[in-house]
Amino acid sequence: MPVDLKADCIADSAGGLTFDLNVPQGTGTTWSAALVLRLRAGADDTGAAEGTDDEVRLPLGPNGPGRLRAVLPSTVALAEGRWHAFADLGDGVDPRRLLPGVNDLRSLVDRRPLAGIGRLGVRIPYATKLGNLALRSWLRGPHAEAGDILVAPEGLTVTGRLYGASPTAGAHAEARARRAGLDPVAVPLTVDGPDFRFTLPFEELAARWRHGSEPWDLWLCPAAEVPPVRIARLLDDVPEKKQVFSYPALSVPAADRELRIGPYYTLDNDLAVRVSGPAGEE
Amino acid sequence: MHISFLMHHAYGVGETVRATFGLADALAARHDVEIVSVLRHRDAPALDLGPRVALRHLVDLREHAPSGDRRDPAHARPARVFPAAEPRFGQYSELTDRRIAEHLRRTEADVVVGTRPGLTVHVARQTRRGPLRVGQEPHCLAVRGRELRLALRGAYPRLDALVTATEADARAHLRRLRLPGVRVAAVPRAVPAPRLAPADGTGRWVVAAGRLTRAKRYDVLVRAFAGVVAARPDWRLRIYGGGPEKPALRALIDELGLYNHVFLMGPAGPLESEWAKGSLAVDPAGREPAGAALAEAMRCGLPVVATDCPYGPGELVEDGVTGRLVPAGQPVALAAALLELIDDDAARARLGAAALAGSARFDPVAVAGRHAALFEELVARRRGNGLRGSLHHARGALIGGAYAVKYATRHTARAAVRGVRTV
Repeated sequence: MPVDLKADCIADSAGGLTFDLNVPQGTGTTWSAALVLRLRAGADDTGAAEGTDDEVRLPLGPNGPGRLRAVLPSTVALAEGRWHAFADLGDGVDPRRLLPGVNDLRSLVDRRPLAGIGRLGVRIPYATKLGNLALRSWLRGPHAEAGDILVAPEGLTVTGRLYGASPTAGAHAEARARRAGLDPVAVPLTVDGPDFRFTLPFEELAARWRHGSEPWDLWLCPAAEVPPVRIARLLDDVPEKKQVFSYPALSVPAADRELRIGPYYTLDNDLAVRVSGPAGEE
Repeated sequence: MHISFLMHHAYGVGETVRATFGLADALAARHDVEIVSVLRHRDAPALDLGPRVALRHLVDLREHAPSGDRRDPAHARPARVFPAAEPRFGQYSELTDRRIAEHLRRTEADVVVGTRPGLTVHVARQTRRGPLRVGQEPHCLAVRGRELRLALRGAYPRLDALVTATEADARAHLRRLRLPGVRVAAVPRAVPAPRLAPADGTGRWVVAAGRLTRAKRYDVLVRAFAGVVAARPDWRLRIYGGGPEKPALRALIDELGLYNHVFLMGPAGPLESEWAKGSLAVDPAGREPAGAALAEAMRCGLPVVATDCPYGPGELVEDGVTGRLVPAGQPVALAAALLELIDDDAARARLGAAALAGSARFDPVAVAGRHAALFEELVARRRGNGLRGSLHHARGALIGGAYAVKYATRHTARAAVRGVRTV
């Protein structure tokens, strides 16, 4: 039975990752040994279309007895998505899935890059449901990072920071319904350097509710000539925010019923608002 | 020496497995060490076991196991030796009784160690004449029910030694069980050195970790943190772990408006990775003793704020030196202690450094050294006076016998209620 290969991941604050593999002592490697990252095929698999690769090979070299090391520098762009990690020891055997070892992600916890950064790369290692090592990757420029969020009767107040763009006059935030045929709801933005803040009142969302659970995605429009930026929470060590960054929903009176409205993070860690009808009413 | 640990399920995860693996590996540097797992549900152990330690099982419950133990009718019949009042009773059977008895009758070890009360009962009653019979208590007697204590009273007098994790628990065993001639010693649980650099203490995160159960009193911690946030909104709290109290804690966090400051992180992988991100560890437990988690936080260089409940934290944390001890169940006192260390960077750094240095005593090498010294002393004494050992076991059997009769009566009554056959 082949021995399980485990990789310890160490993150640096710039977005680089170092992989340290534990291998049985005496494991030989050849010049072609590599840590292989493969983009998981899926609905959001747009990486290849953007001109980036869906397989990345990082040279794997000796790093002391029983240890091999590979480095993913922050300058290597990884398409947004989920990447599975393999080890190719260069021995002619097919690359093997890596298991997660001990991660040191402390430098990601309160990551705060320079606001002027052009394109922001985020990679967070995690264990898949089957217990294998994978990376969650985002590549965004500009990027609107969500910070504290307040759910109050007057609406949803979002604070955050804009990276890679400067808000100008006319900057605003938009809620865009995922249901087709609805105009976005725009609200003004308060700006202090790269930091922004806006309050999205609930009334308008409530007025447009028709049935079931209706999600609205939140965007930032920094300036007229700049494309809108999705608001997301990426700058920490938590690969899936949905369960951890959880917010209450408020009851909001609509025409003839009470609706529940509250913010949440999508599976891609983008910020959204859900408007849902009374329980059991679809 | 040849040392043999008897474990419930060495192929699973949990504090006992981790601590026993650490201890066994450290002992294996100088001794022959084996781990005998009563049950086996998986092909490979979930946690890493050092290559020097031998591992085997007694009952194979894997789907594809050639032995067919899963379908053995004896495994469907309830255990008689393993005490009915033990929390794991449901997983034991006539088959486990028989296999454990065979193992203990034939063992060639010099020292046999039971790693939970039910298994220590087996070790005390069924180990062949010769080897040292040792019990190791993963929890404390205070959390054991009356029924189980009665079962232990019937068997434990035949032990040579009982090893508890704390002095308080050693005293409780001496007070509540009759154990003449049994060496009762407190040796802290082994906590391996973290596999990453200690926390640098510069972040503004308080970290807690444990099962989200009512007894752990995370509700007290969340309420206390409302007080912390009022004074220091730049500090936040992460609580790692899952459990039945999660929805109630979620609701409390929302009710107190703490959803930007208190986060329920869910179960974590290796906890050392999470402690290293923090600057302060906290344990609000009310009655339950501190687990190895707090010792692990200290090994990562975090000062600990813990409640001064009867078992555990008081021996782990030295108030004002490696952390702070506060009365249990009092959010105001807990908040004050947290703020004291949050507001004083120098004190936090000093206490963190002391916690890091002081917790070296939990290192498996240190803990293994204390176990080995205890075993060696008892083995030497046994050799010096061969008669003494068998006299002790005979006396233990007599003392235990009286309790055993009392227990057996209850056991039968209890089993009858459960509709279990005991004859």
